[in-house]
Amino acid sequence: MDKDLIARGVKRCSPRQFGMWLAPWVALFVFGLYSAGLCLAKGLNQTNMDNRFVFGLWIFLDLAIIALGAGAFFTAFLLYVLKVEELRAVINSAVVIGFVCYSGAVAVLLVDVGQPLRSWFTFWYPNVHSMLTEVTFCISCYLLVLAIEYLPIVLRNRRLRDVPGFLVFEHELHKLVYVLAGVGTFLSFFHQGSLGGLYGVLRGRPFAFREGLALWPSTFFLFILSAAAVGPSFILLTTWLAEKISGKRLVRRRVFDVLARISGLLLAVYVAAKALDTLVWINRTSPEAGFPAAQYYSWRPFGTWILFAEIVLFGLVPAVMLLVPRVRARTGWLVAAAAMACFGVVLNRFVMTIQTLAVPTLSFDPFLSYYPSWQEVGTFLAVIAFGVLVYSISFRYLRLFPEEREVRQISFFTTETRRHGENPKNFSVSPCLRGE
Amino acid sequence: MFPWNYGFHWTAATVIFLGAFYAVLAAVAATLLAAALRSRRDVRAHAVEEIRWQSDFDSLPARDRLCRHAITGELAGRECPNGFDCRTCETHTRLATAAVLAATRSIPAMREKPEVEIYGMNYPVDRLYHRGHTWVHPASDGTLTVGIDDLGRRLLGGADAIDFPQRGARLRANGPVFTLRRGSVRVRVLSPVDGEVVGAHFSGPAWFLKVKPLNGGFDLRHLLSGPEIKPWVAHEIERLQLALAGDAALPTLADGGIPVDDIAAACPGADWDAVCGVMFLDG
Repeated sequence: MDKDLIARGVKRCSPRQFGMWLAPWVALFVFGLYSAGLCLAKGLNQTNMDNRFVFGLWIFLDLAIIALGAGAFFTAFLLYVLKVEELRAVINSAVVIGFVCYSGAVAVLLVDVGQPLRSWFTFWYPNVHSMLTEVTFCISCYLLVLAIEYLPIVLRNRRLRDVPGFLVFEHELHKLVYVLAGVGTFLSFFHQGSLGGLYGVLRGRPFAFREGLALWPSTFFLFILSAAAVGPSFILLTTWLAEKISGKRLVRRRVFDVLARISGLLLAVYVAAKALDTLVWINRTSPEAGFPAAQYYSWRPFGTWILFAEIVLFGLVPAVMLLVPRVRARTGWLVAAAAMACFGVVLNRFVMTIQTLAVPTLSFDPFLSYYPSWQEVGTFLAVIAFGVLVYSISFRYLRLFPEEREVRQISFFTTETRRHGENPKNFSVSPCLRGE
Repeated sequence: MFPWNYGFHWTAATVIFLGAFYAVLAAVAATLLAAALRSRRDVRAHAVEEIRWQSDFDSLPARDRLCRHAITGELAGRECPNGFDCRTCETHTRLATAAVLAATRSIPAMREKPEVEIYGMNYPVDRLYHRGHTWVHPASDGTLTVGIDDLGRRLLGGADAIDFPQRGARLRANGPVFTLRRGSVRVRVLSPVDGEVVGAHFSGPAWFLKVKPLNGGFDLRHLLSGPEIKPWVAHEIERLQLALAGDAALPTLADGGIPVDDIAAACPGADWDAVCGVMFLDG
């Protein structure tokens, strides 16, 4: 039964091994559901957030996974709109990652809002002047788009293809996927931007407040750019992880190279823009609001090291690494650079969420500290576990990497030929052949 | 949200914001609806098997989509853009015409005399061959005999069961013609031609179908014939070697012998489901 669901020509572990891999994640997911259930049943008093520290672990998680999940829209845009054909090898995986990230983000938002039964209010009574409304609309619409993009991948399952209706629907939907890619790009552009803009318009929080163009503060553009920059790096990282965990080559080496080059180029542009934005903020925006920028970094542990780490260590350094061909040629360095790039953007979201709220603004404000409650951590872990479960099940039963069969044979012959020194005497005769 | 809602104002911000939102929803709904309507049209037009083949062909590795003229050496590394249906291919028409005009004499593969025995297997030259390991033999009564070729037969050895199409069933080229089963392996064998089944015949261990044309005559331009057969069989043996190369196997010589009669029995450790899928071009 299990084997019949696995695509032809790909190797997967035994059902028992797969069950053992899933078990801890299921346990974590159940624990997370319990934590989230407590928050929903008893209220947000289960968290360590309060009226002053209103954004905590969950919003940080949302911002981080939405940025990392940008690989889905950006890969689809590059493949279906700009025709970067190499990315066809990872597009299915990118869609699943996007679906996991956005569904996790929406689920956490439902818990965070605390009144999920009233979640439709935001659609029925929208505040059209709020960036959060735009974020809500775009994220929910994009989740719908991702679910529709995920559908053909599911319908390509070996057994589901035997159902004629599923087969033709998958085929016809796939032919129209460029429409969804375009819509997804439009939605992602605005919600990534609005998430950044949300902080940039906080006049009462001069640590986050930024000037910009017309309606949009600079953070609007920086969030879009940073998400587009790390999306390909995250796809690279997850593909490499899937290869390591499954013990199989899944894509050609060239795909990693293309992802790295795109990510490196965009990251370099982002770092330049971020550096410029920071200089303007330090020298003009913040002083004009009455706050010398150095003041924000006098509160430990948020010293200037965090600014250095965000822009240089996890921004400029990985950008250079991803752009230098000799570094890209070594898988270890390549993966390290991709991981650093992802960490840099996650750090940026942490700074924008947590440091913004922690540093005092008014003269009588104390420096606020916040540690998430175990219920918050549990809900956070549930999202991680949910992601691993959905991705693992998809990896086993769906064709996330269409080149897997081909790459397996290429890598096998490359490895074996090298091992045997290309000497024909070292090769055996296939058991399918007999002597003439 | 709507003009009758509390707090709704006809302002530019509202119109732009909600307009964009509804445009997105409309685009998504239209995409789904278009896919559903097209699917219904395909099912009603009995295009399911054609779509299955297109889908299967698109998911084949590049080396398995090699054009017949690339296999013979006429064109370097060309991939087939037509799902192995050369009837609509301009390149094939051009090259086939050139072959008739003896221009292909300079191509080594085409110079060789067609052989009946190729790598120890029986490939009679009076038959035409499909890339999915079926053959076609035109009969004097205007019908075609359709069977499975020697390499295909050896791949499964003695099949446990064969599902034949019903008499009167309509076949589409690259749609299913037989379903073979051996153990847990089930493989669909592709039809080499369009036609209507008029009977199934058994001759000892051999079996074949009789097919009559649907519209007056058969168009067999997409099938391999004569001097094309040997390079294609060599190519298929290479593909077989690759398909058999499991993770733990050693590399094997492609010309180290001739295929045994029951390859499946000779290689019990191989993933036969995958091997048959590759060789019979079945998903």
